[in-house]
Amino acid sequence: MNRKTGSMELLEMENNTYNKTLTLDGFRSDSKSNLLNKQETTSWGKTSPSKSYCSSSSTSTENVVSTLERKKAASNETGTMSRPDDPPVLPGEKVTGQARDVTYLCPYHGPARGVLTVTNYKLYFKAGDKDTPLVVEVPLGVVSRIEKVGGASSRGENAYGIEVFCKDMRNLRFAHKQENHSRRNVFEKLQMFAFPLSHKMKLFAFEYSETFPENGWAVYEPIAELKRMGVNNDMWKISKINEQHDVCDSYPAVWAVPAQATDDDIKIVANFRSRGRIPVLSWIHPESQATITRCSQPLVGVSGKRCREDEHYIQLIMDANAQSHKLFIMDARPSANAIANKAKGGGYESEDAYQHAELVFLDIHNIHVMRESLRKLKELCYPNIDETKWLSGLESTYWLKHIKCILAGAVRIVDKVESHKTSVLVHCSDGWDRTAQLTALSMLMLDPYYRTIKGFEVLIEKEWVSFGHKFQQRIGHGDDHHSDADRSPVFLQFIDCVWQITQQFPNAFEFNDYFLITILDHLYSCRFGTFLCNTERERIQERLKEQTVSLWSYTNSNLDLYRNPLYWANNLQQRVLDPVYQRIRELLKLKDQLEHMAEECKKEQQQRMQRSIVSPT
Amino acid sequence: MNDIKEDSRFKSYISENELESITLDDSQRTKFLDGETIVCEAHTVLMYPPLSDRKKYMAGVLTVTTFKLSFATAEETEPSNCYQQNLLLGVNDICLSSIDVIYQVGDRTKKKLTPGQNVTGKVKDILIICKIVEKNIVNALLHHAYPKRHTLLFAYDYKEPYINQTLTKEVRLFQSKLDWEKELKRTKCQNWRVSQVNFNYQISPLLIETIIVPKSVTDNIIKESVEKFRNRCGPVWVWGTAAGAALVRMADLLPAITDRTEENKLLEHIRKSHPDKKPPHIIDLSAPAPKDVQASYLKLRELCTPENARTFKSQDFKFYGLLDATKWLTHVSTCLTRAWEAAERISVCESTVVLQEGNGQDLNCVVSSLTQLMLDPFFRTKYGFQSLVQKDWVALGHPFANRLGHILCKEVEASPIFLLFLDCVWQLLQQFPTAFQISETYLTTLWDSAHISVFDTFLFNCHHQRFMAEVGSANSHPPLVLRSVWDWREQFSERDIGLFCNPLYDDSYRAILKPHAGLAGLEVWTQCYFRWLPDLEIRNGGRPQVDLYSRYLVSEILQRQQGAGELNGRLSRNKEEYVELIRKVNGFFPFSHNAGRVDTDPINNVLLTGDTLDSQSILNFNID
Repeated sequence: MNRKTGSMELLEMENNTYNKTLTLDGFRSDSKSNLLNKQETTSWGKTSPSKSYCSSSSTSTENVVSTLERKKAASNETGTMSRPDDPPVLPGEKVTGQARDVTYLCPYHGPARGVLTVTNYKLYFKAGDKDTPLVVEVPLGVVSRIEKVGGASSRGENAYGIEVFCKDMRNLRFAHKQENHSRRNVFEKLQMFAFPLSHKMKLFAFEYSETFPENGWAVYEPIAELKRMGVNNDMWKISKINEQHDVCDSYPAVWAVPAQATDDDIKIVANFRSRGRIPVLSWIHPESQATITRCSQPLVGVSGKRCREDEHYIQLIMDANAQSHKLFIMDARPSANAIANKAKGGGYESEDAYQHAELVFLDIHNIHVMRESLRKLKELCYPNIDETKWLSGLESTYWLKHIKCILAGAVRIVDKVESHKTSVLVHCSDGWDRTAQLTALSMLMLDPYYRTIKGFEVLIEKEWVSFGHKFQQRIGHGDDHHSDADRSPVFLQFIDCVWQITQQFPNAFEFNDYFLITILDHLYSCRFGTFLCNTERERIQERLKEQTVSLWSYTNSNLDLYRNPLYWANNLQQRVLDPVYQRIRELLKLKDQLEHMAEECKKEQQQRMQRSIVSPT
Repeated sequence: MNDIKEDSRFKSYISENELESITLDDSQRTKFLDGETIVCEAHTVLMYPPLSDRKKYMAGVLTVTTFKLSFATAEETEPSNCYQQNLLLGVNDICLSSIDVIYQVGDRTKKKLTPGQNVTGKVKDILIICKIVEKNIVNALLHHAYPKRHTLLFAYDYKEPYINQTLTKEVRLFQSKLDWEKELKRTKCQNWRVSQVNFNYQISPLLIETIIVPKSVTDNIIKESVEKFRNRCGPVWVWGTAAGAALVRMADLLPAITDRTEENKLLEHIRKSHPDKKPPHIIDLSAPAPKDVQASYLKLRELCTPENARTFKSQDFKFYGLLDATKWLTHVSTCLTRAWEAAERISVCESTVVLQEGNGQDLNCVVSSLTQLMLDPFFRTKYGFQSLVQKDWVALGHPFANRLGHILCKEVEASPIFLLFLDCVWQLLQQFPTAFQISETYLTTLWDSAHISVFDTFLFNCHHQRFMAEVGSANSHPPLVLRSVWDWREQFSERDIGLFCNPLYDDSYRAILKPHAGLAGLEVWTQCYFRWLPDLEIRNGGRPQVDLYSRYLVSEILQRQQGAGELNGRLSRNKEEYVELIRKVNGFFPFSHNAGRVDTDPINNVLLTGDTLDSQSILNFNID
């Protein structure tokens, strides 16, 4: 079980709590008194001119402050610090609604009363009635569904409020006081900013304007990456046939194909492959020239159609590797699914048509099965674990079994490429979910470059983003269709697989698990442009590179956070939370200190020696 | 081929005549200890590694001695790659005390050979499968692996002179009054006194001679009250705090006694011994009972020792369900939960805790020692830990001989309570990696050593038995030379002993350990349970990489601290050695069976072939 990923939100929360206690220290006493004395009217300091709006007299004065009022207040304050209850905001982030006297029903520590703020980026709750303020901060991109709990007639404590269902394995319950009439506004604001696309608005990433010293958009250059692998060479060439994305609209503009393949051939092959996703190069072995290529299923259909150009093209891929006279086609699906696809015009390569090719089914299930599996896992883990059915429950989610299946598939690919020097072609149905998992994982196992921080970023940009994993559909950024059948945790599952490998090979990776968690957090957050849209073509249309910030700008500007102290090539000081890492870091520090001391001693000795040589003369 | 050391599935086939007889040179032959005699020998035996499905084997000579079952082979093993190699045993040797069940296997049948209906419970059970039963060797095994009397154990025959050099300084054995006095003084726990009421085992042979009781309890009260308790195990002090909270353990009253007055009187004395007269908190430890632990362990062992690749795959397919069904982790969780309950009462509420259990010598030992590990950083050091085991297990009479099944006897209830404890400690070590001076390897080795019949530490049911054995008896046996298991140099080289230390240990770590005792916070102790399956080992990876890297750092630091003068030459070599080792280290290091192997087949077929998966394919709905 990857228990550690469960801590992602805790980490975030802890950090925030920490920051807050530092930055808002001066205000704390203020906000505390407000919370303690509900009757007291001033809610954000004495200087505030908007006092009257918030005074909760006996009438039904709104406890919620609308955007307009806030703006007014802000402009009147002329650049003074934000009010004590306001959350820290990112550049481009604005407070859009706030409700006081809201109770957060924490499943672990019980109810806590405080102020709930909604911005265009996040939901922010702060309970001030404790010495260490409890802070819950959730980017609205994480929200999959918001529901009202209870109605006007609801009685009983905390029976009336809002429940927020999240994509990252948690749900949040907030209770409002009916007489405050604060729920409606919060609910509307949440709906609007959690699902901006459903309200004809733009995602937060387009408003976010923070600048970083590093430019993450420059991390991946397709041609540079192909050159790193030695393409062009005798066997493989860079093709720009898809520059306008008209051969395949879900593939990138630049890709590598066998040097012998003509443009005409490629176009015919594209017609024979589902959605035009022809076999292209993912990775090439630096010594044996064995390759990993990826594509979608062939359009064989019930009648068993054949395509001479496709067969020839596959032969070219095989011939590009002089070490082997065989090619493995790894079909990620269970064979039953592959057969069933024939009815819909798809299917798989018959060994009659593709001589020298051996077809293997890897038995990995589709996105619907994975979604269901994760749903069960969440049910099991959140909010509380039932001791009596933990292990058997874990088993019945099949989540780890799916992980095992995917990892085993990747290991089989690696084995063929590395030990048998044979090229492997990977596909599933469309080649953007399971295929991406398999190619990316096998590349991670084969090539140490992808185990560095930047290399891993390149791997994601290349195998996932550029080759059209449908992030928009799979995550459902900014839309409220929470039960959309196209949603599925495929990428999360990939990260889980990576985490499993990092656990088994603790010194092979430059990054730590905090890096993986950060990637997952921002997979949903919509703060960065990296995981927006479905294809490269859409990204260009949306001008993502110009209008949004890359997640890698953020990570690469603070690399120390993500470094693994055990990584061979890099043993300098890290910030890590794991006690093992922590201790190793301390030891490293001590060692460095001692080395430094020894160096000093040596210098001093040398100086003394020199002096003693000099002085007698 | 690799070395198979004390294998969980040690199959040997006494072959038909197609095999040539094997000639061994001196270095390959089985070595014997002083006092060890050969009982029987069989030439040309094949040994099959686990999960090999009889495709791979090693040919050699199988010997049964009074101490061990030994397999000597002419095939190369690389000694430099063998870590944790016991000096008393060869690479392919196994102590007879470790043998649990012996099967006779025909072409299609598998028959358990008695005497020894499941005599002991050990991970290193051994399955000797003989194709053609060569009667002599099997009979010899049956006879010597299941001794009927204690004095037939090898410890009584072992002639090697033993000089106890430094041990007393390192470990407190808690056999003398002095150790108990020191402990009482160290903990600064007031209102308790040392009583020697059991001097010369006057009131009970099951008790130690020195016990600690409330100051107000006179020797006469003890004499009267012990009669009422099972095993004569009345309340005794084991540990306490300066604030006056004590940790006390006792057995239940005898089943015949319904009147609890006697117990209540003593509890009242305990209450009065608390500075604030707080009533003690009583924790009932009647579950799990030793037989539950044993049943659970047998299931766990079945899960960890699949007989062939097929079984392995079908088990792997429903691993978590099977693991759940063993209830092993549930028992671990229970022990940790109870121990934390006690620790919290003592540290937060500052009240005395009384642990109570049937005979007072099983779960009491586990929970009492875990509580002390959580509260007292001293016990987390190497010597502290050894002293703790001496005090709470050896001195206070955990019936090791019965529980570990050293002797064949119908009435005896074997149960790996000690392993349960070690597993709990391992869980603590996982959750608090910097709090312990001892390492995972130390815990695994300690479990192994409990089955080597050379050491007296885990050989007896109570101290009185040890005392009698040491004295000797004119008509049955000579005096036994006591050898403590804590004298690790008897078994291991300095290099291996070095691995007992936890390189991440931080001696400034003094906090109370509050574990995640829930099932979701626990893990399976793979090093201990899965090390016999080479196929499951992570090649060139696993936690040992972290371990070794920390060791490298620590050794560099130490060297630098010692001599800042002569650096370069030695240090860089040191680093190279470590780098080299870390590169090739495997997941079960230092118990790896893949260490010397140059692998031609890096892919692990058992784990990857898809046939089982396909046939039982997970959920074939939702076809895309």
